[in-house]
Amino acid sequence: MNPMLQGIGIILIGLSGCIAYFYLSNLILDRVLFPARGPNAGRNINRANLWRPWLFMFPAIFALSLYLAYPVFETLRLSLMQRVAGGGYEWVGLNNYQRMMQDSKFWEAMRNNMLWLLVVPAAATGFGLLAAQLTDRIKWGGLAKSLIFMPMAISFVGAAVIWKLVYDARPIDLEQIGILNAIYLALGGAAPQTWLTIPFWNNFFLMAVLIWIQTGFAMVILSAALRGIPEETIEAAIVDGASGWQIFFKIKMPQIRSTILVVWTTITIIVLKIFDIVFAMTNGQWETQVLANYMFDKLFRANDWGVGSASAMVIMILVTPILVWNVRNARREMR
Amino acid sequence: MRKSLLTGAATLALSAGTAHAELVTVFGPWLGPDQENVEAVLDGFAAATGYEVSYVGSDSFEQQIMIDAEAGSAPNVAVFPQPGLAADMASNGFLTPLPDGTADWVRDNYAAGQSWVDLGTFTGADGSEDLYGFFYKVDVKSLVWYVPENFEDAGYEVPTTMEELKALTEQIASEGETPWCIGLGSGGATGWPATDWVEDLMLRTQSPEVYDQWVTNEIPFNDPKVVEAIEEFGYFAKNDDFVSGGANAVASSDFRDSPKGLFASPPQCYLHHQASFIPSFFPEGTIIGEDADFFYFPAYEGKDLGQPVLGAGTLWGITSDSEGARALIEYLETPEANEIWMQLTGFLTPHKGVDTSLFSDPTLKKMNDILLGATTFRFDGSDLMPGAVGAGAFWTGMVDYTGGEPAQDVADDIQSAWETIK
Amino acid sequence: MDNIAGRKSSLSWVVNISVFFLVVLWLLPTVGLFVSSFRTADQIASSGWWKVLFPSEQNLTLRTAGPDEQVEQDGLYVLEGQLFEPGSEAEISVWGASSRDIAAYEAGETAQLDDGETLFVGADGSYRMESPVPFEGSRGSRVFVTAETPPELTLNNYKNLLFDPNNVDGMSRAFMSTLTVTIPATVIPIVVAAFAAYALAWMDFKGRALLIACVVGLLVVPLQLALIPLLRLHLAIGIGKGYLGVWLAHTGFGLPMAIYLLRNYMVGLPRDIIENARVDGATEYQIFMRIILPLSFPALASFAIFQFLWTWNDLLVAKVFLIDATGKTTVMTAKIVELMGTRGGNWEILATAAFVSISVPLLVFFLMQKYLVRGLLAGSVK
Repeated sequence: MNPMLQGIGIILIGLSGCIAYFYLSNLILDRVLFPARGPNAGRNINRANLWRPWLFMFPAIFALSLYLAYPVFETLRLSLMQRVAGGGYEWVGLNNYQRMMQDSKFWEAMRNNMLWLLVVPAAATGFGLLAAQLTDRIKWGGLAKSLIFMPMAISFVGAAVIWKLVYDARPIDLEQIGILNAIYLALGGAAPQTWLTIPFWNNFFLMAVLIWIQTGFAMVILSAALRGIPEETIEAAIVDGASGWQIFFKIKMPQIRSTILVVWTTITIIVLKIFDIVFAMTNGQWETQVLANYMFDKLFRANDWGVGSASAMVIMILVTPILVWNVRNARREMR
Repeated sequence: MRKSLLTGAATLALSAGTAHAELVTVFGPWLGPDQENVEAVLDGFAAATGYEVSYVGSDSFEQQIMIDAEAGSAPNVAVFPQPGLAADMASNGFLTPLPDGTADWVRDNYAAGQSWVDLGTFTGADGSEDLYGFFYKVDVKSLVWYVPENFEDAGYEVPTTMEELKALTEQIASEGETPWCIGLGSGGATGWPATDWVEDLMLRTQSPEVYDQWVTNEIPFNDPKVVEAIEEFGYFAKNDDFVSGGANAVASSDFRDSPKGLFASPPQCYLHHQASFIPSFFPEGTIIGEDADFFYFPAYEGKDLGQPVLGAGTLWGITSDSEGARALIEYLETPEANEIWMQLTGFLTPHKGVDTSLFSDPTLKKMNDILLGATTFRFDGSDLMPGAVGAGAFWTGMVDYTGGEPAQDVADDIQSAWETIK
Repeated sequence: MDNIAGRKSSLSWVVNISVFFLVVLWLLPTVGLFVSSFRTADQIASSGWWKVLFPSEQNLTLRTAGPDEQVEQDGLYVLEGQLFEPGSEAEISVWGASSRDIAAYEAGETAQLDDGETLFVGADGSYRMESPVPFEGSRGSRVFVTAETPPELTLNNYKNLLFDPNNVDGMSRAFMSTLTVTIPATVIPIVVAAFAAYALAWMDFKGRALLIACVVGLLVVPLQLALIPLLRLHLAIGIGKGYLGVWLAHTGFGLPMAIYLLRNYMVGLPRDIIENARVDGATEYQIFMRIILPLSFPALASFAIFQFLWTWNDLLVAKVFLIDATGKTTVMTAKIVELMGTRGGNWEILATAAFVSISVPLLVFFLMQKYLVRGLLAGSVK
C-alpha cells in the first residue's frame, strides 16, 4: 500500500504544485513585474501579455523538450556513431545507414510499415464512419456504439491474447479451438491454417487486431461530428431531391473533413508507435517485421545502437510527409 | 522518500539479524517451474550467508538485461543463457571479472574444467582476458523424448543409430501416424530450438573441428557443409507427414506446448528432440522413466564420428559488483548449492564433488552418464556465436527455413548478418 | 421527418441487421476469451468456446489401479474400481486399451486382451480387469476413453489466479502496481497540458504556429528511441527505476496528444465568450480557470480516459522505467506476457489473467463513457 499512498501524495503535491505555479507566476507577472498601474500601465499590460503565454506553456515545453525532443537529437547523434570495442563511441558518419540498407530484414520492415500505414488508419476510419452512420439511425445505437467502442479499453497485450485464441490452429484431426479455423473449415477449407505464419497475408491478420481496437475510437468521434452537422443543410438537400449517397458525400463529408483528419492522424500515430502487437504475436518473424520492432531488436538483441538509431530516424523521416500535411492543415484552420 | 524512511527505521531498530542483510538481486531467464527451483537455491544461499536475495525472471531476458545495463540499473548478478550475450556485455564493460581464484577452482572441480573456463573467459573493455562467467546448471541437448508405453503399443524399438531413427520416422509415417513434435515458438526467442537441431546434426555429419570453425565463422555459414546440416534438419521438420500439424506449424507452435503431443490421446507424435530441461513442461504428474523417457539422439553408423554430445549451460556473471554478488558466486561452488537443485528437476552439473545419489530421479543420472560417455562434447554453437547471429539471425533464419525458404538462401542471409558485425 | 418514413422503414431493417453483424464481429473475440476463462483446461482443449453450452467430448488417458491392489477371486486375479475422479459426471462412449486404437470398444463391452486378460469398462468409468496370472509391474495399465462431460462453468481459474498462495502475490501485486502507475500518470499531464493548450488556442504570440507544429511533430516520435537516453538521465539525477520515473515518463509521452486534443477542442469554443470576458476586464488566468476549464471538462475527461487506458495498458514504458531487479513492481501487462511465455498453451490461465487485467479499463470505460461521448458531442467537432 505504501506506493499507493505515495501515489496519492504525488498527485496532491503535483496538482497543488502545478496550480500554485500557474497562479503565483501569474500573480508575479501582473503585480510585481508589470503592474497594470502607474505611468506605464498600458505598456505593462502589453508586456505582461507577451510573457504570459510562455508562463502557461513553460512546464509543457520543458517536459516535451526533455522527454521527446532531446531523445530525437540524441538518437540522430547515435545513428552517426558506432560503439568501439572497450566502450566509448566513434564517429562513423552514414556507415550505419549503409549497413542498414544492406539488411534485407530492414526492407521487409519498411514494406510492412508502409502496408500498416496505408491499411490501418484507412480501415479503422472507414469502419468507424460506417458504424457511426449506421448506429445513429437505430434505437439501440447507443448500446451498439458501446460494444464496438469497447476494444479501446483493452491493452495491446490483452488483445494479443484474445486474437491468438481467434487465430489458434490445431492439427486437422483435432477439434479446432480457434474460431477462425473453425469457420474456415465449416466453409469448406481443406486444412486448418496457421494464420500468423503465412508470409505477407499474416500482416493483415496482425493489422486486424489494431483495426479492431481503433475502430471504436474513430466511430465515436465521427458520430459526434455527424450529429454536429446542422440539420437544415441536410433537410435542404433532401428537399432538393438528393440521394442518400449524395447527401453523405456532398453534404456530410465536407463538413466533417477536419474531424476525419484528426481521427486519421491519431490512428496513424498509434500505428507508428505500435510494436506490442507484433512483438507479442510474431515478434516480427514470418516476414511481419515492422520498423519499431526492428529497432527494438537491433537495440536490445543485436546490441547494435548505430543501426537501431538509424532505423529510428527512418521512422522519423517516414512520418515527415504526414507531419507536414498535418501541420499545414492545422495552420490553415488557425486562419 | 521511502528509502530514507526505511534506513532511518533500520538505524533505530537494534535488531542484530538485519545488520548483514544486504540485498543481492539476481536476474535470469527462468520463469514458472524453473523459477521455483532457482529460488530454492537462492534461499539456501540466503540461509547460509544471511544476505537477502531476490530473483526476477523474464521471458525477454536478452533485451531487458541490455536495457538495464546500458542505463546502469543492472542487477547484481545476471544469469546468461548464452555466452555470446555475456561476451558482448563483457566487451562493453558491463561485467565485473569473477573473484581471483575462481578459474583455478573451476579447473580443479569441474569435469572437463578447462573447457568451462574457456567458455566463460571473455575479453573485457580494457582488452585483457578475464573469467567473467561461472557455469552453474548444465543441460544435455542431444536427447530424444518418447513415451515408452506408446512405443510398446505400436511395437517400436528405441533406435541406436541415425539410420534406425530415420527408418523409424518413415515407418511411423507410413502407418499413418505422426513421428515428430517440433515447436520453435519461444516468444522473443522464437527459433532457438531449431538451432539445437542443426548443431546436433552438424556434430553428426562433420568432425568436431569443422564444428569449431563454423562456430567462429572460419568456415562461412553458407558453406555447403552447414547447408547440408540444415537440410538434414529439413528432412525431419519440412516434411508434412513427419511433424505434428504439418511443416507450417513448426515455427508457430510453442516449444513448451510441443512435447504435450506425446501425451495426447491418441498420440499426436512419438518423438521429441529437446534438451534435458523439458520435463518441466510435461503435463503435471508425468513420471520420467515411466510415463516418458528419453534416448540419446543417435549418430550415423556410416560416419565415423563417435558419440557426439551437444550441451549448454547458464553462466552467472556479476553485472553490478557487491560483496553479496561475489558471495553468491562463491556459494554456487559449494556441493550444497548443486545438490539443492539436483533434488528438484532438470538439473545437471559438471561439479565432481556432489553426491550423485541425490538426483531426484534415476533419469538424471542417466543423462549425466550420456554426458560422461560422450566421445565429443561440444557447447551449443548458437550460444557461442555473437549475439546478433546466435541470438538473432540464426533464430530468425531457422524460422524462415521452416516457413519454406531454401536452406541456401537462409544460410546466405545468416552469413551476411555475420559479416555486418565483423 | 415522418414524410420520408416510407423509404426509411425498409432501410431500417438493413441498417439494424448490418449493425447487429458489426457488433457481433467486434464482440466475438473478447467473448471467446471471456467464456474460456470460465472453463477448465480440458474443456478448452477439447472443444471450441462457442460449444460451451454443449457437452464436450474429450479423449482422456486414464489408468487402472496398480497391481498391488489386485485381489484373487475364483482363481482369477482381479482389479476393480473407478477410472474417474470421484464426483465426475463424465460418460464414456467408446474406449480402448492401446494408444493405437482408442475407440476399439463400446462402453459396457468386455475386451479380450493379450495373455487371457479381460477388461470391462462401463459408461460411468467403473472397470473390472481379470487375469489368470498375477498382474505385474509398478502401475496400472492405461485405458483410453472418449468421454462426454456435461457443460459446466467454473470460477476456479479466477480463484487460482487471485487467491492461490502461489499466485496471489503475482497477480494481486501486479494489479496494485498497475494502479499505482496509472493514476498519477493520468492526472499530471492533464494539468500541464491544459494550460499549454489554452495558450496555443487563444493567446496571440510570436511563434505560436511553430509551437503547434512542434507539438504535432512530437506526436509521431516513436517512444522506443526515448527509452535509453531518458533512463540514463533518470539514473543520473537519482530518480532511478521506480514509480516516480514512470510517472514522469508517461507525463512526457502523453503531453503531445493531450495538448493536441485539448487545443483542438478549445479552439472550437465560441470566440465571443472569451472576447466578452476580455472586454469585461478578466485576466487570462481568470478566463482560463473560470471559463475555459469548466467548458473543456468533457475534453479533459475524454483525454483522461485515453491516458488512463494508455498507461494502464502500457508494457514498454513500465518495462524500462519501472520494473527493477527486485520484481516487486511488476505490472499486469508484463505479467501476462510472461504467462504467454510460460503458459503458452494454458488458455484457462491466459484468458483469466487477461480478463483480470482488462476488467478495470472496461469498468472505467463503461462508467465514464457518458463523459467521453458528451465531451465529444459538446463541440470538439466543428
